[in-house]
Amino acid sequence: MSKITQKQLIEQIRGLKEIKPRQEWVSLLKSEILNTKPETNPKFSNFEFRISNFFFGLKTKKSFAYSFATLVFVIVGLVGFAQYTMPGDLLFPVRKISEQSQAALSGQTGLKQNVATLNSRINDLAQAAKQGKKNNIPSAISEVNTQVSELAKDLKNNPVTDLETLKEIAASLKTLADVPGTDLSANSDVKDLYQTIVESQIADLEKTTLTDGQKDILTEAKELYGQGKYIDSLEKILTINK
Amino acid sequence: MDSLNEQFGRIYDQYIEKIYRFVFLKVDSQETAEDITSKVFMKGWEAFKNQNADIKNPGAFLYQIARNSVVDHYREKGRAKVVSADFSPEIADPKASAHDRAILNADINVIKKAVQGLKKDYQDIIIWHYLDDMPIADIAKLLDKPAGTVRVMLHRGLKDLKNMVEES
Repeated sequence: MSKITQKQLIEQIRGLKEIKPRQEWVSLLKSEILNTKPETNPKFSNFEFRISNFFFGLKTKKSFAYSFATLVFVIVGLVGFAQYTMPGDLLFPVRKISEQSQAALSGQTGLKQNVATLNSRINDLAQAAKQGKKNNIPSAISEVNTQVSELAKDLKNNPVTDLETLKEIAASLKTLADVPGTDLSANSDVKDLYQTIVESQIADLEKTTLTDGQKDILTEAKELYGQGKYIDSLEKILTINK
Repeated sequence: MDSLNEQFGRIYDQYIEKIYRFVFLKVDSQETAEDITSKVFMKGWEAFKNQNADIKNPGAFLYQIARNSVVDHYREKGRAKVVSADFSPEIADPKASAHDRAILNADINVIKKAVQGLKKDYQDIIIWHYLDDMPIADIAKLLDKPAGTVRVMLHRGLKDLKNMVEES
């Protein structure tokens, strides 16, 4: 090679900066070195390290426990507060979930659960009407309609002969009929439900030994039933059952 | 505070190319350079952990391990320091044309071969100063020599290198 200046020589030396390791090797080596062993502080003996780990774990568990306790507290508070809500309130869906969970835990069957829920919805409607909560009444009526439809379908599919259950439904419907300003008789499901209940109650009473007075009331109830006045008929029947 | 892993990870990122290049210029193959460089960082990591990160100048520390490792390598092989630039990998810019790459590789191989022919101390000083941009004062500390001596050695190293390149 011909003569070169010192500057050219230095430039050529700097050209050696092009020498670089393979990137995959660089990455692999780094991970091999730094992951060879879990990092420990060499100043600690094994025993001391285990002790410090124990306390670190305890601290972590403690903070987790606090978070968990707070979460549980919030959920319990939310569910508790939701018990005082009515249809149309923001937290009402929480209450519905809570009721369903309680029913499932207590082992209630489909029909009994439906009856219990209907009672609850009718009470909501009665409360809303009584307290003049106009904003809640439409939602409460909607909830009752929905629940009545559910119950009517359930009764159609699975006819019930259990007198206690039928009496309970009849009582609920009587309560519903008594709620002022909430005439649900136009609802075909409600009508069907009344008819079903009155029918089964009349059939049951006909098999029972009645006093003369009770027989008269039953006759009146049957007449009202024949006229399609199911609510009035049910009212008569319930006086016999008292 | 950063963990030991994170601290050493940063040192690794900062020095891996420099140490590899430093080693590569002293040995005869990429494979050997990778092998020795791996050992350098393994030893460095062990020492770093044992001293609980209390290493004041990690760069100087790694270079010292690298120098000793290269010496050990030649000692283990039981051979004189005979190196061949024929094994050098492609190191030119892959974006350049084949012709440019060939010329660049040829130039680099010439200077590489010349650097490898220098005395060990001259090699180190030239590599550190011109490739790793290490100031004379730092090199002096690393070699435990006065700065003036390092300047003289650098000057002599360049002179020897110039002669070798011109004679090649």
